[in-house]
Amino acid sequence: MSEPLREKPNAQPLPTLAEGGVTVEGRYLPPPEDKDGKIWARTSVLIKADRLALYEMWRDIERAPLWQEQIAEVIVTAHGRSHWVMGSGDKTIEWDSEILADEPGRRIAWRSVGGESDNAGEVIFEDAPGGRGTIVTVLQEFRMGKLANLWETLVGRKPKQAVIENLRHFKALAETGEIPRTQGQPHGPRGVTAGMKESMYGEKIATPPGLTRTAITGGKR
Amino acid sequence: MRALCWMGTSKVEVHTVPDPAILNPHDAVIKITRTAICGSDLHLFDGFIPTMEEGDILGHEFMGIVEEVGKDVSNLQRGDRVVVPFTIACGKCEFCQKKIWSACDNTNPNAHLMEAAYGYSGSGLFGYSHMMGGYAGGQAQYVRVPFANVGPLKLETDLPDEKILFLSDIFPTGYMAAENAQIQENDTVAVWGCGPVGQFAIASAFMLGAARVIAIDRLSERLEMARSIGAITVDYSEEDVSVLTALKDLTGGIGPDSCIDAVGLEAHSNQLQGIYDRIKTAVMLETDRPSVLRQAIQGVRKGGTVSIPGVYGGLLDKVPFGAAFGKGITMKMGQTNMHNYMKPLLERVEKGQIDPSYIISHRITLDQAPEMYKVWRDKEQSVTKIVIDPWAN
Repeated sequence: MSEPLREKPNAQPLPTLAEGGVTVEGRYLPPPEDKDGKIWARTSVLIKADRLALYEMWRDIERAPLWQEQIAEVIVTAHGRSHWVMGSGDKTIEWDSEILADEPGRRIAWRSVGGESDNAGEVIFEDAPGGRGTIVTVLQEFRMGKLANLWETLVGRKPKQAVIENLRHFKALAETGEIPRTQGQPHGPRGVTAGMKESMYGEKIATPPGLTRTAITGGKR
Repeated sequence: MRALCWMGTSKVEVHTVPDPAILNPHDAVIKITRTAICGSDLHLFDGFIPTMEEGDILGHEFMGIVEEVGKDVSNLQRGDRVVVPFTIACGKCEFCQKKIWSACDNTNPNAHLMEAAYGYSGSGLFGYSHMMGGYAGGQAQYVRVPFANVGPLKLETDLPDEKILFLSDIFPTGYMAAENAQIQENDTVAVWGCGPVGQFAIASAFMLGAARVIAIDRLSERLEMARSIGAITVDYSEEDVSVLTALKDLTGGIGPDSCIDAVGLEAHSNQLQGIYDRIKTAVMLETDRPSVLRQAIQGVRKGGTVSIPGVYGGLLDKVPFGAAFGKGITMKMGQTNMHNYMKPLLERVEKGQIDPSYIISHRITLDQAPEMYKVWRDKEQSVTKIVIDPWAN
């Protein structure tokens, strides 16, 4: 069989991942539509770090509070199962989670199993074209309910935006060893409108603490 | 400490605020010895840049002495003398590795605000709105510097602060403008705006091989300063002066090889289009007043380059894109990739090739700053550059 185009010196094989991936057999796959009380968030980042190291950082779920917003505590209760506490002060919700798929260096999938949140998600780690790092894609679904309400009313972020911000924190932490922050810096007197703006801009949400270890390195460049 | 705070449009005040602290492992706290007011601070003062909050500490041009470092900062220690770039860069992301430092992925805590407006977020900046990170600025006695392992340039020289300070923004910004203008040996370059960035763009254009530089402004002291470093000046406010005709007259009818817009979004114009932009921005149908940009596109030669160090923020009306396409021009712009220029430009200062302090007209205390913002805005007292000693009384 003849190929219509042979001269493509740097072309990569097409990604083959389905599920949370963004392509199927060369076609772009848009994010799932929100319907029937379910909302979806899909987001991806390019991280200058090794695929396996990033997988391991994500898989270490007891350290998720270091980079996920509003997660107070995660305890591994059994192999592949964990207990999650979200919120701050006396306003918290809790749920259990189980890992559905665990492929080192490639993919982790999970879902909640009881408790006050109904969520499921998947994270995929793929080599970026040309060895430029790792593309990390997260697909997460929520059923609107207590979790979404808490997020929107108490926390001030829409769940979709929270997924985007958490992946951004993960990237910053992996690449630099810290999460950028301004909370705690000096300022002059804040008026009424400044307070409203802080809420509107999501600045009242506590930035996760980040790690106290150095950045992951070992990317191909 | 004492710090200059933005308290609303056309309102800045000095307040006593808490001292900054180390918040992240790559932070440093700098005791500021000299800081300056930038032309782009006027865009904040005049309320052109959204997402400012009352109480924000302004200032993105500063230098000083390292007071304290975070645990992962190994290149600096207490007592080191440094000048700090106004863009904050992590040094590790795709963009920093490509040396497009002002596009850093990891330094804007409010990246989502800029993504909503621009598609993607650039780096965080000191004292320049919450869309750009919401970092406290350096018109103050101390400042927290994130990623101090990447940004601050350690100084081993005993040159005075005034010769070094402008490496924090305007000298590299003027230099990158000239570099973006793609100047070839013996080119003719036109520069709109003879404020500090325009001055350094003129100087840099000569350094990069320009044979002739045409400088355009309306303020006599700035035009005089431009002539003092070798430019031919055009005063657009003079009766019968048409900038486009002047550019043809001064280039044998072919136009300048490169045009540099060192003015940006608050351009003044004595033409009909200036009135048009005033009205449209006043009723919020337009965010920027791009009369200089229009002229630069119109004025540049066929196949020439328009370089834009002047700041634009939003949506522009009646930009002659047909002229840009018709002549096949190149346009280059953006926040300065500071980290590429600070060291080489410091070397030029050390060798005595340029003394950047020539632009300073006013030396003031922090308490004088609120009044001087108005002088700076209204271009009174022949002001060309204001430098603040935050510890002086």
